[in-house]
Amino acid sequence: MTRRRRFARPGALLVLAGLAACAGVLGLRREGAQRFPHRAHVLAGVGCVRCHAGIAEGVAVGGAAAAAGAAGATPVAPVAPVAPVAPVAPVADDRGALHLPDDASCVAAGCHATPHDARPCGGCHGDGVTRGAAIEAKAHLVFSHQRHASAQVGDCMRCHGGVAQENERLRPPMATCFRCHDHQADQDGRRCAACHVDLVEEGTLPESHLAHDGDFAREHGARAASSAEVCASCHRERFCAGCHAGTTALLPARASFDDPWRASVHRAGFLARHALEARSEPGACATCHQPERCQGCHTRRGVADAAGGVASPHPPGWVGVASNLHGAEARRDPASCASCHGGAGEALCVSCHRVGGVGGNPHPPGYSSRQPRTSLPCRLCHPVGT
Amino acid sequence: MTTRARGALMATLLLLAARHAAAQPVRLRADALTAAETPVGLLNLSAEADVTPWLSAQAAVWLGASSAGSGLDPVDDGAGEALIINLEARAADGRAAAKLGRMVAMVGALRPLHLDGAWARASLPWRLQLEAFGGAPVAPGMRARSFDWLVGGRVGRRVGDFGSVGVAYLHQRDHGERATEELALDAGAALGEHGDAAARLTLDLIRVGLAEVQLTTARRWGRWRVEAFASERHASHLLPATSLFSVIGDLGAQRAGAVVAVRAAPRLDVTGALGGRRVDDDLSAEATLRARLYLGDRRAARSRDRRAAATPAIGVLGLELRRQGADLDGWTGARATGWLPVGGVAGGAVSAAAEVELVIPDHDERGAAWPWGLAALTWTRARWEAAVALEASATPQLSSRVDVLARLARRWEAP
Repeated sequence: MTRRRRFARPGALLVLAGLAACAGVLGLRREGAQRFPHRAHVLAGVGCVRCHAGIAEGVAVGGAAAAAGAAGATPVAPVAPVAPVAPVAPVADDRGALHLPDDASCVAAGCHATPHDARPCGGCHGDGVTRGAAIEAKAHLVFSHQRHASAQVGDCMRCHGGVAQENERLRPPMATCFRCHDHQADQDGRRCAACHVDLVEEGTLPESHLAHDGDFAREHGARAASSAEVCASCHRERFCAGCHAGTTALLPARASFDDPWRASVHRAGFLARHALEARSEPGACATCHQPERCQGCHTRRGVADAAGGVASPHPPGWVGVASNLHGAEARRDPASCASCHGGAGEALCVSCHRVGGVGGNPHPPGYSSRQPRTSLPCRLCHPVGT
Repeated sequence: MTTRARGALMATLLLLAARHAAAQPVRLRADALTAAETPVGLLNLSAEADVTPWLSAQAAVWLGASSAGSGLDPVDDGAGEALIINLEARAADGRAAAKLGRMVAMVGALRPLHLDGAWARASLPWRLQLEAFGGAPVAPGMRARSFDWLVGGRVGRRVGDFGSVGVAYLHQRDHGERATEELALDAGAALGEHGDAAARLTLDLIRVGLAEVQLTTARRWGRWRVEAFASERHASHLLPATSLFSVIGDLGAQRAGAVVAVRAAPRLDVTGALGGRRVDDDLSAEATLRARLYLGDRRAARSRDRRAAATPAIGVLGLELRRQGADLDGWTGARATGWLPVGGVAGGAVSAAAEVELVIPDHDERGAAWPWGLAALTWTRARWEAAVALEASATPQLSSRVDVLARLARRWEAP
């Protein structure tokens, strides 16, 4: 047996033991309340409205009464597809009852006449997340079961098709809506209000969101460039302004200090490592910050204040004959030089780098510019005519 | 006008705008923040209102006071600033819109522009879309600068049902001198049902050359998501052309890599990223491994609707390992995060959050390790939210730093 094989088996066993021990935590084994077994009820031939009584009429029906009234109801057979219908207008049951069954529904209907437990059915056979999702949907979506039930003649499965396969995906995806409702004009005009009360306030992320599932801070610039309107369907302008406005007092992530996953380029201990990050990615700071930003902050914090006599932040050999590091570093990241030596500080540079000066020509080979020599910064070194 | 008076004026304008729109849906939010290490206070106010079905108003302003060295950045004692204050009108069919006031203009691949001015968009035949903007760039402190202005626009076209392309132009003058002239190209496309690609490219038209280019493409296969990215940035072309440092040439900084994310278990997400950077002749690798564990049904973590407490909150734990840079800028770091619902107090929900980070730089001249940590408690009830946090860290400049942060927020909605 090779050395590798000798360790492989115990290692695999260790991994399996670890997975088994953590199966509950990882979600591999369900614990606590189970999602309601919709699939089992569908397969048993229990019609939807037998439990969700009153949903087709748009009226609130009490659990026991609903069960009694619906006891004789039979599952409604699927019907042929209908022609696309116009977008629905809000009606009374948009904000009405949820039509979720309660214990009385289960017992009084005669299906579960003898509960095996005295505790509420929904405590184990139904999780709070699903119930919460229904409450959120009621609050955020313009939708009428009443209108749809009459159009579909009670064929709930036409939209809630996932129920027959599993117990999780109860709310139909938008694609299901578009099978009947033609919202192309709304999509073109980025008008979501026909179905979403307020998409921004709704704030629920789609199940699959390519733009946000990755490194948002790095990716969003490239993606938003060609689809700013898509961003605007969920994000108001102040969301962008929180980071990109030149007058921002502090980044949103700093204000949301109690949300560890708030996307930000300056997360956690950025203050300590910002110099390293700036050096490893030249120009990154300049994409958002004005060049003077660095000096302003350093001065306020007392980190580097030339007037205060603080020692030079530059290493030995920065400027000199034997060693002259500053030229190469300046070409590596000129924005970092500008962060301290910009504006009036440029006089320090042109004291050497001027026509006839000891610093010589600072331009790289092949340099060209459309700026006239009378403009800044040309005229600092090139008096008119030279 | 003093900074205090300016702040009062902005707050008054905000309230007047909200009052005018009171008959229509209006949302207000106020966030008060403070940090204890150095006395600082900050009041963020935002308001949005639909004045009429075709006209809306929005504003976000802050009023603050701080002293040097605080973690917050208000520049002057008693300062006030506006991020945005604008009116937006739009056609009923969504084919045209216009905005007037202070805004952040996001136009194609141009850098986000903070300006006082106007912006307009119109959809034209042949799936063309036209955007135009103009105004004065915003200067912090409400300082008026003479002869600062910018204009620009974008022409975009949708390509089938899967993508769009656009070209944008910006001309900006500072103190009357040409500071920025850029041409920017953008493109985005959906690649089938589960993939997409996007690109942006910015050219400097004054010192003709590439300023920045970014490419990204992502695809999802079931529980897997893979993204590849690349970028190149030339720092000198991002500086205003009036800066002396724009004429010394520069070396492009390239970056490329791939990110793989997988739902490793129903409650566990794992993301790995591997890439490289090149600046001049310096090559360095970067690697990140990130894991997030949901302590319950992950659907609960996707919901933000805590107001109605409709969805039970669940805890979330995270761990991140990171290696970046080489030589002078190299560092290795680890970060752990956690968020847990704690229970209920005074009719509200209480949650706790903790975040710790340890960075070890390759060169230890300014400290062998830079730890950072924050622990926070949040109380939420209906439209109220209060949070307090203790933050401690060691930085290259300070061997220890302790701060207390607090936030109180309230939202109003009508009708």
